[in-house]
Amino acid sequence: MLESILFFVGVGVACFVAYNIGGATTGPAFAPAVGAAVVTKVIAAGLMSVFFFAGAWTIGRRVVDTLGQELVRDPAVFTLPASIVVLFFIGGALFVGNVFGVPASTSMTAVGSIAGLGLASGQLNWAVMGEIVSWWIVAPIIGFWVAGMIGRYFYVYLDNFIAIDQTDGPLVEFDRRGGVPRPVLGPGTTRRELIGSSVVVGIGCVMAFGSGTSNIANAIAPLVGSGQLDMNVGIVIGSVAVAAGALTIGRRTMETLGNDITHLPLTAAIVVATISSLLVIGLSSIGVPASFVVIATMSIVGLGWGRATRTTKVADSVQGREAPRASVGALAADEETATVGDPTISVESDPDPIGEEEPEEVPAASELFDPSTTARVVIMQNVVPIFATIGSYATFLLFFGVR
Amino acid sequence: MISRVLVAMDDSEMGERTLEYALEAHPDAETTVLYVVGGPSTMGGQATGLALSADFEEATDDLAREVFESAREIAAEHDAEITTEVQVGHPVRVILNRADAYDTVVIGAHTGSVADRLFVGNVAEKVFRRSPVPVTVVR
Repeated sequence: MLESILFFVGVGVACFVAYNIGGATTGPAFAPAVGAAVVTKVIAAGLMSVFFFAGAWTIGRRVVDTLGQELVRDPAVFTLPASIVVLFFIGGALFVGNVFGVPASTSMTAVGSIAGLGLASGQLNWAVMGEIVSWWIVAPIIGFWVAGMIGRYFYVYLDNFIAIDQTDGPLVEFDRRGGVPRPVLGPGTTRRELIGSSVVVGIGCVMAFGSGTSNIANAIAPLVGSGQLDMNVGIVIGSVAVAAGALTIGRRTMETLGNDITHLPLTAAIVVATISSLLVIGLSSIGVPASFVVIATMSIVGLGWGRATRTTKVADSVQGREAPRASVGALAADEETATVGDPTISVESDPDPIGEEEPEEVPAASELFDPSTTARVVIMQNVVPIFATIGSYATFLLFFGVR
Repeated sequence: MISRVLVAMDDSEMGERTLEYALEAHPDAETTVLYVVGGPSTMGGQATGLALSADFEEATDDLAREVFESAREIAAEHDAEITTEVQVGHPVRVILNRADAYDTVVIGAHTGSVADRLFVGNVAEKVFRRSPVPVTVVR
């Protein structure tokens, strides 16, 4: 009797975690598409649910295996009470992150909480843990590098290609003159608008898929790992809870994104989403739970850094695409890589070809990025997962006497 | 005699109180309101958004507009004239950089946001410790 009550509590907490994941992920994935009025919020939530499930069903189960069976040497440590405690830490981290606006990777928190259980019971598989943590270091560096290259060399072209100039009327209409309805461009719809809109929706779907591959494990791995819940049943239940979250809290997060990604121009958001989703899907397919928040942050910083330190081409200035003064800063950054972020040097040595204002009054793009700031941001993103790890370890050591 | 005051403002309620205090404490001084944009944020979005903007100057002005509007309202209530200045970079570095040109710096104790405390750190504390001129921390 007690056992079955505990089982339902466990499934309930797992659903709560999945529900919050649905709410938290829909915003970043579909806010650009909803913001550009390409799809409605309900359609966005629907796409989120479908692609999350697809990701969870196909690739997500590999991560469930890693978290539920490989990270701890003996999955039997996932007793029902232990699973519930682990899930509470994951849910609590999601909650704290949302309330205080501190982005925290759900996967890192999940690995941390399970590692805490593994440590306390002496069942932690250090080899698996080491592999996961190495990827947490390598993947963001790859994200930074790829985004940096794009920011430096390709961003302008992408921006031209993707730009959405909204026109009135539906994007696509159906031409019913023939026997079979045939889609044609809506009134005023340009080809570029159609491409841009499709890209925005498409990338939202890819992000939803990626979220499914890595996040389903965070909700169901403890229950599936110990065999209390069947893998397929777990994936379905988890995905339904994610869909509920996408339809309820997700609709709100699409509007009022307390998310830093909203500061990005549309093209940048697409670039960042593409890089980070592909990395997350790649890691999930080798069974590694990925830290989306850190990867996305390093991609964002890489993109901006690559852009701020680019070599400005003459053609850009002639077309008036670049503010000349911003390029002064960028050029200075190029010449004096070591001094990027050192205001005194870049301000004093900047030639001011226009000479319309005092150099010290001129904001420079090169001021925006310095390694210590970025390091601090990434370290702080680890605060919640670290607290979850310590909290989980202490809880299991003190109250469960699992050793 | 304090004749030039630098008020470091942000978009929090504390930022408004800081300017009010500065105008009351130094009614006859020339007051400059400094707002720093593109500093550390939870995912680095603001800095990158600025770096990618087509018109850097316009983008920084856009980010500062709201804060400066409320600053001018507060100044009007106090019958004071203020100069506004927007800069980019880490707030601590920018404020310390500009402090030299003024007699004193007035700054709020904190923004009241947990994320700011973690991701930016306490700006007032660092400015207070390293400023070349006297600093007033408004609470």
